[in-house]
Amino acid sequence: MTTDQLKQILQESGADAWEIRDTRTAGWEFYFIRHQLDQNRVRDVEHIEVKVYRALENGTMLGNASAEIAPTATEEEARRMIDGLCRDAEYAVNPFYRLNPPAPLQEETRSEIDPAAISRDFIKAMAEMPETDQEDLNSYEIFADRCVTRFVNSEGIDVTQTYPASMIEVVVNARDTEHEIELYRLYHAGTCDRDALRRDITELMRFGRDRLKAQPTPALGTASVLFSTQDAVRIYEWFGSRMKAANKYMKLSDWEIGRVYAEELTGDPVTLTARAFLPGSSQNRLFDDEGAPVHDFVIIDKGTPVSYWGSRQFRSYLGVENGYTARNFEVSGGTGTEESLRGGSYLEVVEFSDFSVDNVTGDFAGEIRLGYWHDGGETVSVTGGSVSGSLREMAGGMRFSAEQRQYDNYLIPGLTRLENVRITGIDHKE
Amino acid sequence: MKAPFSVWLTQQSGPLKELIAALSSHYDYISVLATDSAGFRIMASQTNKVLERRTMTTERGMVVRVHRDGLYSEYAFNARDLADVGALAATIRGVLDAQLGILAETGTKVYDTPRLEDTPLTIFSEMETDSLPEEEDPEALMRRLQSFSDEAVAMDPRIVECQAQVSSTHVNKMFLTEHRDERQSYVYSDAWLRAVGTAGDRTEMSYMDASGRRGPQIIGDLADKIRELVDTTIAMLSAGRVVPGEYDIITTPDVAGLIAHEAFGHGVEMDMFVKKRALGAEYIGKRVGSDLVSMHEGAACVVDVASYAFDDEGTPAGDVTEIDHGILKTGVCDALSALRLGTVPTGNGKRENFEHKVYTRMTNTLFDSGEDTPEDMIASVKKGYLLDGVYSGMEDPKHWGIQCIVARGREIIDGKLTGRMVAPVVMTGYVPDLLGSVSMVGREKLSFGSGACGKGHKEWVKVSDGGPYLKARARLG
Repeated sequence: MTTDQLKQILQESGADAWEIRDTRTAGWEFYFIRHQLDQNRVRDVEHIEVKVYRALENGTMLGNASAEIAPTATEEEARRMIDGLCRDAEYAVNPFYRLNPPAPLQEETRSEIDPAAISRDFIKAMAEMPETDQEDLNSYEIFADRCVTRFVNSEGIDVTQTYPASMIEVVVNARDTEHEIELYRLYHAGTCDRDALRRDITELMRFGRDRLKAQPTPALGTASVLFSTQDAVRIYEWFGSRMKAANKYMKLSDWEIGRVYAEELTGDPVTLTARAFLPGSSQNRLFDDEGAPVHDFVIIDKGTPVSYWGSRQFRSYLGVENGYTARNFEVSGGTGTEESLRGGSYLEVVEFSDFSVDNVTGDFAGEIRLGYWHDGGETVSVTGGSVSGSLREMAGGMRFSAEQRQYDNYLIPGLTRLENVRITGIDHKE
Repeated sequence: MKAPFSVWLTQQSGPLKELIAALSSHYDYISVLATDSAGFRIMASQTNKVLERRTMTTERGMVVRVHRDGLYSEYAFNARDLADVGALAATIRGVLDAQLGILAETGTKVYDTPRLEDTPLTIFSEMETDSLPEEEDPEALMRRLQSFSDEAVAMDPRIVECQAQVSSTHVNKMFLTEHRDERQSYVYSDAWLRAVGTAGDRTEMSYMDASGRRGPQIIGDLADKIRELVDTTIAMLSAGRVVPGEYDIITTPDVAGLIAHEAFGHGVEMDMFVKKRALGAEYIGKRVGSDLVSMHEGAACVVDVASYAFDDEGTPAGDVTEIDHGILKTGVCDALSALRLGTVPTGNGKRENFEHKVYTRMTNTLFDSGEDTPEDMIASVKKGYLLDGVYSGMEDPKHWGIQCIVARGREIIDGKLTGRMVAPVVMTGYVPDLLGSVSMVGREKLSFGSGACGKGHKEWVKVSDGGPYLKARARLG
C-alpha cells in the first residue's frame, strides 16, 4: 500500500476531508555494556497514518477518525478500513474547522543523512570519553535514524521532508573505596555533536564524584533553588503549555493574550519564541504533523502572552490562523548575571530522580540525587530529600540568566532561580 | 468468549518459518516475533471528541533475532514482502553485516553471550474475554463516555471539564523458532475519567480509572465513581501543602502499587544485574522489609493488563515471589540476561513494540495481603496522612532511593481523618527503610493497570501494580 494508492481510495470514499502522514525510518541501534557491544539492531519500518473528516450538521460540525494502515495492507483491507473510519467519524464530532491549506516551505538545506555514519560518530565519540579509575561509562545505547515523512491532505498539500533523529542513553558510574553511584542521561539530537556530548558527560562525571561525598540534604524548610542543568527545560515547557491552544480551549489554562502571566512580575519577564530551526536539534522539520510550514514566532513577549500555538483544530477555535505545532523553543529575557543569580544562600540541584511539572496545576516536585547547598561562602554537596512548589505561585518572581544553554530542542537560560521552594530534608522528623 | 487468534499472523507463519530456515545457514539461532494487535481509543469531553483506531500497543510488524559468534542482532520490519523469503534473508544478512563493519572499523569488542537453547515448545492460547474491541459499537461507547463527562460537570459549577476515555486492544503475538511455535491472543482495556476544577486562580484535577483483561465495557466500572471524582476534585481546590517531614502514612492500594513498582519492581529487573546497576543483586537472601512484606511479580500472578501466556522471547508467563516476609528471594529476568547470569528466565522479556529491543520488564507487581483493616490502620495513627491517587514514580536501583508523587494526602490526627487535605505529596526515602517500616497490611489487594511504565525515560510498556492498604512511615514533602 502506497500513499498514492491511499490518496486514490480516500478521494473515492465518503470522506469530506482527509490527511495522510507516511513516515519511513531507517534506524541503526547499538547497545553497549561498558564498551562491549551487547546487541546491534536495525529498524526498517514505515508508518502510514490516515485521518478522515466528515462535514456534519450543515457543515457546522466536523467528525473525525484516524488509524494507522499497515504498509502491507491489501487494497481491499485499506478500503475496508477507510470505509470504517468514515463511519467512525460520525461519532467523534467537534465544531467545524478547515484543514491547513498549501503554503510555501523553507528550502531543505541538509546534506545526506546516513544512519551508519551517525552511528559511527557516536561510537567513536563514546570510546574517547575522559574516563578514569573513579568515573567511567557503565553502559550506553545509540540510536540513529533517517526519517522521510510525506504529508498529503485533501486541501492540496503534498510535501516531503527528510530528517535525522538521534538519541543516546548514557549511564555513568563514579566510585570510591566504599561505594559506587550512577548517574543517568538521555540525550536527543539530530546527529552526533561530539564536543557537546563530551562536555556534558565530563560534567556528569564531575557530578558523580561530588555525589560520592554528598551529605544528607538539610531540613531547610524553604530556600532559593537554582536550576543549572536540563531539568530547567521542564519549567519552560510549562510556560509553553499555558499557551497551547488545546489547553486554552479545554480550560486547562487561564492565561490570556495581552495579560501579563503573573499578578506581580518582580522577576525576569519570560520571552518564549518558537524557532523553526535550532542547530543540532532532533526536532528540526520543514512542516508540522498537519503540513503547516514552520517559522519563527513569539509566544510570550516580555511576560505578556501574545500567541496561542498548536494544532490546526484548536488554533482555529481560538481564531489563530497562522501557526503550527512548534517543536523548537527559545527562552530569553533574563537579566541576571551568574554572579547575581548565585548570590546569598541557595540550593543548586543538578540531578533529580525525576523532576516533573504538572502542566495543569503548575505543581513541581523532584527527589534530589545531587545538589549543592551554597551558604555563607561554603558549598556542600547534598543528596536525598525533595524540592516542591508551584510555578503558578513562583513564576512572577523567577529570575534567570541572559546567557543561554541548549538542551536538544530548547535554548534556555543557563541558570534559573526560584525563591521560597519547599525543601524536604532527610533529618527532619515530625 | 475466546479472543480469536489473528488470521493475518496465521497467514504469515509459513513464510516466516521459511525465513528462519533461509537464515539458518548464516546464524546459529534465529527467532521471529510477529505481532498483529488492533484496538481503539475513544475520548469524550465537554470540548473535544476523539476516535482513533490505535492504542499504545496496536502494531503490525515483525522482528528477527539472530545469534552468531557470541553476538545477538535484530532486524525489525513491517513493510517487507514475505513473498520472496530469499531476498528478505539476503537483506537482513546484508544490513546486519554492514553494522558489523562499523564494529570492525572502530575496534569494538562483543559482549560474548551463549546461544539460546531452542527447546521444543508449542503454545496456542486464545484467552477469555467478555467482548472484542473490533466488534464493539463505537457510537454507543462515545455516548456513554459523553454521559459520564456531562454528569460530572453538572454536579458542580467548579468542574469545568471532564474527559472520559477508554482504550481497548486485541493483542496477537506469534513467536517462532526452528523448534518453537507459540501463539497468543487476548484483550485488555483501560479507562479513566479526569475532572478539572477551578476556583479563583487555582486549577486542580483528579482522576478515576479502571483496567483489566476485558473488553471496552470496562467503562461500566467508572459509572459509580463520578460523584467521588467530583468531590475529590473540589476538595483539592482548597488543599494545603504538607509541612515537609517524616510521618506515619497509610497508602491506598493504588499508592501501595506505586511503591511496589518503584521499590522492588525496577530494583530487581535482572538485566540491571548484568550491568551491575542494581543493589538488589547483593541483597538476595537478605532482609529488605518488615516481616509483613511479601511481594509477587509476574504475568501469571494476577489477571490484569499485563497478563499474557508468553513474553516477547517466547518464555511462558511466570509468578515470582520476589520478597517473602521481608527477605528478598529473587528478581525477574529476560532470556538473554538469564544466560549471562546463569539463571532461568521468568517470562519478563518485553518490548515496547516489535521495533524495540527486549529488556527485563515488570508485568504485574503486587504486595501480598495481610490481616488488618483500613479502619484499624487509621485508628492507630496519631499524626499522619492517608495517601491516595498516583501521579508518577521513579526508581534508583543502584541506591534504592524512591520518589513517588501522590495526588493527595488526607490528614489523620489522633486516629481520625480530619477532613483536611494536602496536595500533591512527594514521598521520598530509602527503600529498605520504607519497607522496613511497614507495620500493618490490609486484607484485600487490588491491581491497577491504567498506566504505563518506562525504563529510564523510554521503552513504555503496559504494567499493572497494586496490593492492599499499607501502614508505614515515610518522608513527605
